[in-house]
Amino acid sequence: MFYQQKFRILSLFIGFIFFGLLINIYNLQVVNRENAIISVNQQTLDTFYIPAPRGEIYDANNNKLASSSLEPHLFLNLRKVNDENRSQYEQYLKYNFPTLDNEDINELFESSKLLAKIINIQNLNFDNRQSLSGLDAFEIFDYPIRNYEYDNIASHVLGYLGEPSLEDIAIYPTSINTNIVGKSGLERYYQNDLSGEPTQVIFKGSEIEQIVPSTPGKDIKISLDVNLQKIATESLLQGMELANDNFESRDEINKGAIVVLDIETNKVISMVSLPDYNPNDFVDGISKRDFNKLNITGAFNNYPIQGQYPPGSVFKVVAYWLAEQEKIYPEGLSSRSGRIDCKGSLAFGFNDGSQQVYNDWKEGGHGRVNLGASIKESCNVYFWDIALKIWRDFEGTSAESILQQYAKNLGFGSTSSIDLPYEASGVVPDRNLFEEWSISQPERVRPEGWLGGDLMNLIIGQGAITATPIQVANAYRTLISGKISNPFINLNNEQESREVEELDVSEDFISFLLDDLNSVTNEGGTAHASFSVLGKAVKDVGGKTGTAQNSGDKNNTSWFVGVDSITNPRYVIATVVEEGGSGSAIAAPITRRVIQSLRGLELTPVKFGEITE
Amino acid sequence: MNTRKITLLGPEGTNLTLLTIFLILNFVSWLTLFTLSGGLSFNLQNSVFRQISFSILAVLLFFAITYVSLDQIYKYTFIFYGVISILLILLFATEPKEGVRRWFDLGVVDFQPSEYIKIGLVLFISRCITERYNKIYIGAISIIPIALVFFQPDLGTTTLLIVITLSMFIVSDIKTRNILSIALLGGVSFFGLLELGFINSYQLNRITSFFESVDFAQSQSRLAISSGGFTGQFFEVDKVNQIFIPVQSTDFIFSAYAYQFGFLGVTILFGLWGFFFYRVARIILTTESDFEKFILAGFSASLIFQIFINISTVIGVIPVTGMPFPLLSLGGSSIVATAVIFGIINRIFIENNVVI
Repeated sequence: MFYQQKFRILSLFIGFIFFGLLINIYNLQVVNRENAIISVNQQTLDTFYIPAPRGEIYDANNNKLASSSLEPHLFLNLRKVNDENRSQYEQYLKYNFPTLDNEDINELFESSKLLAKIINIQNLNFDNRQSLSGLDAFEIFDYPIRNYEYDNIASHVLGYLGEPSLEDIAIYPTSINTNIVGKSGLERYYQNDLSGEPTQVIFKGSEIEQIVPSTPGKDIKISLDVNLQKIATESLLQGMELANDNFESRDEINKGAIVVLDIETNKVISMVSLPDYNPNDFVDGISKRDFNKLNITGAFNNYPIQGQYPPGSVFKVVAYWLAEQEKIYPEGLSSRSGRIDCKGSLAFGFNDGSQQVYNDWKEGGHGRVNLGASIKESCNVYFWDIALKIWRDFEGTSAESILQQYAKNLGFGSTSSIDLPYEASGVVPDRNLFEEWSISQPERVRPEGWLGGDLMNLIIGQGAITATPIQVANAYRTLISGKISNPFINLNNEQESREVEELDVSEDFISFLLDDLNSVTNEGGTAHASFSVLGKAVKDVGGKTGTAQNSGDKNNTSWFVGVDSITNPRYVIATVVEEGGSGSAIAAPITRRVIQSLRGLELTPVKFGEITE
Repeated sequence: MNTRKITLLGPEGTNLTLLTIFLILNFVSWLTLFTLSGGLSFNLQNSVFRQISFSILAVLLFFAITYVSLDQIYKYTFIFYGVISILLILLFATEPKEGVRRWFDLGVVDFQPSEYIKIGLVLFISRCITERYNKIYIGAISIIPIALVFFQPDLGTTTLLIVITLSMFIVSDIKTRNILSIALLGGVSFFGLLELGFINSYQLNRITSFFESVDFAQSQSRLAISSGGFTGQFFEVDKVNQIFIPVQSTDFIFSAYAYQFGFLGVTILFGLWGFFFYRVARIILTTESDFEKFILAGFSASLIFQIFINISTVIGVIPVTGMPFPLLSLGGSSIVATAVIFGIINRIFIENNVVI
């Protein structure tokens, strides 16, 4: 049975409910509309970001290295472009800006952004600008132009700009807004300081609702001396030319680095890496072809902090320090003055009766040498004797790695924490590392593991050890100053960077070391031929040569670490030329020319020195 | 049964008002989906094209149902009810999709038996009451498919089926207080099942969280409805797409409609449906067949409750319940099932000689 009455009542009831719903909707759509519109607008305002002028970068003498200037640019408001007026705008652009080709113009219109940057109109006269602003979809905004005043000079320190990759965005999230980020060097390391706050162009629909002005980035003053930087770059180039003239090399010798550190403060006075690039080329975007061309030459590597080379004889200073500190001298000697007879080779027997012979670089040997003379003449046998002593006394005990410990105390094997990105750490090998490698990369180690021969290699900076130029420079600086600290470039951060630790070295040790380094550039020393041109001043400078052998058919790595001066040590200079051959022949005269500049002497060309080691 | 007098469309005739409302509602759905999808393109991925395809199928079905006389419907009611119930059982043998067993995968389209059990249940109860079976037996047999849907699980359709059953009982000769007691008993056992863990806790969470925080989809859809204003935004596609609303083409389509056509459009939509139910109610009150009365009442209850739940969800006065808006929401199963309902109602209109 169907009950009509109950049906009527139910219908009425339902009618009321729906009337209630309708009132509810009326409240939403008519009564409370304004509030909703406000929240919707907050959700739907779109913002286009124009980068702020980046902070400028000045050298220690207030020379401007990287500048920012605002120049008017024409932008296309893509929300005002539609299928009907597109061709009109295209025609206009083609006619007025013949430098834009069809592809450029197409790209503009296909952009998914709110505004597309068309062209710099700095040089357009007033009338033309007026006529541009008459067209609805054209907007004119100031856009910052980055300029690197010295082109290639210090390019690796300054870095360059580019579009952020996904990884870049993960590190610098706001770079997604302006689509520009520091890709390397200081531009990257100090991206957050330099970038500032971008201009916000706030859109509502197709109209620009509001413009929030930018906050320019912070300026940076750095420790580099651009004049020295120029001379150092020039000297390194001259040295490479010499190397190419004098050595057979499969590839052109064109990779190298110079680091100049201030001994007292650990400021980086100069840092050269070759080959280099012109950061100005990246400002408007670089073509893939040009980028790849640079990339193949290795121009994007900052060799002073990324080049990992066997240090060769410049590493002997570690054993030198260890010998004095621990009183570990060759068997039978008890002080630095005791001499061994270097016959040019070292032969020693093993428990199993076999014999091993190590040959010094100098045939016939160095004769009777003590610790100082073995630095001066870079005698390997003396240091091998120290290694043998360590090995015989400590093999298998924890003291076995005493040389590595000393190296690590001087900063080898770990990054220097300089304020630049992508620093490499180098390698200080020991028994544990060889055991790790035997699992992870067995091709690098012999099955027997860590042997005495590896220690003998290590003590003269050969074998598995690698170091970056800044590590080598900082190690010498640490020994001469007696202070452990990290090198830095940004002077604004000077206070923060000063975490100084005292190194356990005596005044006596430092003066012995300086004397012995001084002997290297003087009569009888390995670098004398390269430094004699300094005249009287040669008595007041010093250094250490290094010629590191490479595996395969690569030429030796040419090293020199210079000290200026001996009486008042202010600078350490480390120079490397990859495949540059003998350190005394190539790296030493390059360093000499840098020292000439530091001392204010007349600059003489880099001249081929004496081949030693 | 009366014999029909006028035939306008199809051999068995068609009620013009009903057909017009049916077509307008379909068309409104296309328009709304068009503003959401930003265009029509001829592939089944495009929501407008998809909906139009289903609409055409629905209209064909609408006319096809007109061939089926009420006598035949009466005759096959139990078989139909039984077949759909068996399909509901067979669903439990299928692989669950997104955690529920609700569809048979037929390749291009999915077949959702619970859409048809709504129709089956209305027909079943109508015939049972007409034949004056024991109401307790009717209730007991009705519970079977409801329980099957409940364990899919599909809480929305379960509730709808319960509401259909209760509404039809209310307008029958059962005492209203008995029905209310049963409803109370049902409520208690619901929470009993909840305690025993038969109900997914996320369904309860939706209810509890409704009182604690504002649901994102609901707050967004309120904004969209508000932005519509009195007269609507008429194809200002940009902004409604920027107010991001989850499932806006299905369960939340009313927000897009209200945005595009404003309060005026909402009132017109209410008017269309109101007029439809008014015409149905008039037949209910004038026809002499109890079977027809109960069918019409049951279908009305089904449609009204769906619309009520959908709008209430979209304007945020009840927790989010996944219930499509009949003929407006994107979705083949819903349109086709609603077309069957409209087809049967049309047949009843025709057999009552109501053609305009």
